[in-house]
Amino acid sequence: MADIDAARLELEEALGTTEVLSDPLALTLYARDASMVEGGCALVAFPHTVEDVVVCMRVAARHALPVVPRGSGTGLAGGATPIGDALVVVTSKMNRIIEVRPEDRLAWVEPGVLNLDLANALAPLGFTYAPDPSSQQTCSIGGNVNTNAGGPHCLAYGVTSSHVLAVDVVLADGTMERFGSEAPEAPGYDLRGILIGSEGTLGIVVGACVRLTPRPPDVRTMLLDFRTVKDCAATVSAIIAGGVVPAAVEMMDQGIVVAAESFAHAGYPTDAAAVLIVEVDGLPEAVNAQARAVESAARDNGVRTIRVAADETERALVWKGRKSAFGAVAQIAPHYHLHDCVVPRTKLVEVLAGVYEIAGRHDLIVTNVFHAGDGNLHPLLSFDRRIPGTLERVLSASEQIVRLCVESGGSLTGEHGIGLEKRDFMPLVFSDVDLGAQACVRAAFDPEGRMNPQKVLPAGARCGDFAMARGMDATQAAQSIPEGSWI
Amino acid sequence: MDLIHPVDKVGVAEALRQATADRKRLLVVGGRTHIDKGEPWAVDAELWTTQLDGLVAYEPAEMIAVVGAGLRDGELDRILSDGDQEWPYDAPATATVGGVIAAAATSPRRMRVGPIRDSVIEMEMVTGDGRLVRSGARTVKSVTGYDLHKLMTGSLGTLGVIVQVALKVRPRPQARRSVKAAGGLEMGRRLLETVPSAAAVLAMPEVVELRLEGWPEEVERQLEATDRAAGVTVVTEDGAFPSERPWEASPVVAEAAVPPSRLAELLSPPFPDLLGPHLGSWGALLGVGIGWVGLSSSDGELGALRARANALGGIAPVIKGPGGLGTDVPPGLDVHRRLKASLDPAGVLAPGRFWGGI
Repeated sequence: MADIDAARLELEEALGTTEVLSDPLALTLYARDASMVEGGCALVAFPHTVEDVVVCMRVAARHALPVVPRGSGTGLAGGATPIGDALVVVTSKMNRIIEVRPEDRLAWVEPGVLNLDLANALAPLGFTYAPDPSSQQTCSIGGNVNTNAGGPHCLAYGVTSSHVLAVDVVLADGTMERFGSEAPEAPGYDLRGILIGSEGTLGIVVGACVRLTPRPPDVRTMLLDFRTVKDCAATVSAIIAGGVVPAAVEMMDQGIVVAAESFAHAGYPTDAAAVLIVEVDGLPEAVNAQARAVESAARDNGVRTIRVAADETERALVWKGRKSAFGAVAQIAPHYHLHDCVVPRTKLVEVLAGVYEIAGRHDLIVTNVFHAGDGNLHPLLSFDRRIPGTLERVLSASEQIVRLCVESGGSLTGEHGIGLEKRDFMPLVFSDVDLGAQACVRAAFDPEGRMNPQKVLPAGARCGDFAMARGMDATQAAQSIPEGSWI
Repeated sequence: MDLIHPVDKVGVAEALRQATADRKRLLVVGGRTHIDKGEPWAVDAELWTTQLDGLVAYEPAEMIAVVGAGLRDGELDRILSDGDQEWPYDAPATATVGGVIAAAATSPRRMRVGPIRDSVIEMEMVTGDGRLVRSGARTVKSVTGYDLHKLMTGSLGTLGVIVQVALKVRPRPQARRSVKAAGGLEMGRRLLETVPSAAAVLAMPEVVELRLEGWPEEVERQLEATDRAAGVTVVTEDGAFPSERPWEASPVVAEAAVPPSRLAELLSPPFPDLLGPHLGSWGALLGVGIGWVGLSSSDGELGALRARANALGGIAPVIKGPGGLGTDVPPGLDVHRRLKASLDPAGVLAPGRFWGGI
């Protein structure tokens, strides 16, 4: 049994009493992230320095406490929802941009730096940080690293993993390592790559070396509207098949357009069945060529109107509606469940039809706003959880949507992560042997299994060779786990 | 030396189970084009992947191709050209896709196309003890579980055998020009600033070769900018980039990797004086930080180059000839050892080939 009081005193002595919380209000606040899942924790610590994080890890190790890293708490999959007697380590006070080196196209930042703050700091130098999740005003780079975060502009620029050159990480035993390098190659396996997207289960990120992306010399943002969702989705495939990879291709269906318009007043056509925001960038000549190709693909697929943002103000307005869409749906119902799954982009039409059908069958309102170019769907189920039985219908519809995406050749999550919410769906896409190998990776970083336990992998997943050491192969080992223990 | 030449994934898994049981040490071999990178202590047999050369799926509108690891790069290029797309890592035509990934070979166009690891989105591999494992997804984005394919990329066949991969591919640029201008590192640096949208700026001792790619109008504009800044001497359309790799004539070639701004220090006097007769044979990818350096042997010159690379925060593994990767200890050595022990418990995969004696 962990000695929470002793751990608290040790943390208070090192970090100061104001930086360690254990009162009931704090423990309730930090018992969840932005997902629907609620857990519980024993202590909350706010390190200011790498040394503080090392202390947190050593104290946790000494008292056998699970450790749950937390950035801004904007995660939607329960990755930062603590369980049991956990120590929650909040990195939001480590929020300095340490150095910016344009000559090497890189910057070192602490994990608590907010995504938009970083992009804004780089702008005067002619650079940006490309991944731009919709939550970029509040989400932190540390959290982005842990979820391999995406965003509208990942279509052309790639996800977080393509933009993080190195990470400084404190492992469960309190040692700090730098994975990756300022140089293009580093000795060893790509532990940087495996850590990005590991949802806080391998260590705590205490620093990130991010890649600077030059701001494009020219940008054109277009708003295309369609009479049918099918025409809209077909346009997305036609653009890509035509050899154009726009900077962003975002799709919004009518429900979202109406909600976003009444909130942002962006001039969205509220009578359209669906709209696309397409952004192309680069040298002016490239922008012209891409815009022509996009317009031609849209005309071939029955576009109604194409509106080109005339200036930076209009461009910002077009994006404001998109980025505030999740807030705007509060007009529909008090609660929402935001899904994140990814399908081949050529399957968008049929999967969307399936999503509407599933929602209808569960008597739920569904709206869709998503990264169409990436095939990354975000069906949004709006509901009022105070009405008895509603939550059950939402969960049932969610499961059916996940299964539909997987059956269409897709994956469980494009950018939000597995966390707690989708952990038990992992066997839909991976075999016991696959999950066993993933468990080996986790065990290699954290042999005691104290980093963010119960996340990502279902409870049955065990490192295969450990099973074999006991005379079983991985398949037998997985079958020896009692049915139902994953839930 | 024994040769194992499986015809499919199951054959690879059986071979590795047997090798683990027999404690037989294996070197995984594709097209043999990157075989010099990393030197195993000793191996008992070669396992060839060249029969795993099927095309599993290719849908241009997805920009994804799924192929067997033994497929040759030249054949992949032909397949993708039907969809007007490319996997832009510019490996030799006889290299296998799996081998290029296992070696994490650097594309000369890396400034534009990024490292090879960013293009591998799903992988099937066979672990050292014969488990067929899949990771990732055939979608351009996924954070579904741990990306074992990241570990395998650049692992030089020391954790498992790559048997199948899903690759993110890209549209083939409509216009491609290779442009040469007189000058060296300093001219290269100036061109990098003047032509920021270039796909590559390769500086050599006496000449700079640029790759310009994209829509015809934008390539034309970049060509004009290059000419104004440097005076273009040669323009090649649609040819290979780079048009020549003089450093490859040297008996030993090291691939130094340093922060991009340190390339000049890596390659400038007085250091090259230490390099013997192959003094002149190097190529530097500006904006990336890769320097390919031709050496006459792996004796003193290599040590001097590595010391210089280390001092600049980088490394210099050999990619042709003897010399291995270097003595740098990978960060998280314990993590490395545990990964190796759990994926290749009998240590049959190219022992000693990897960093840190793994």
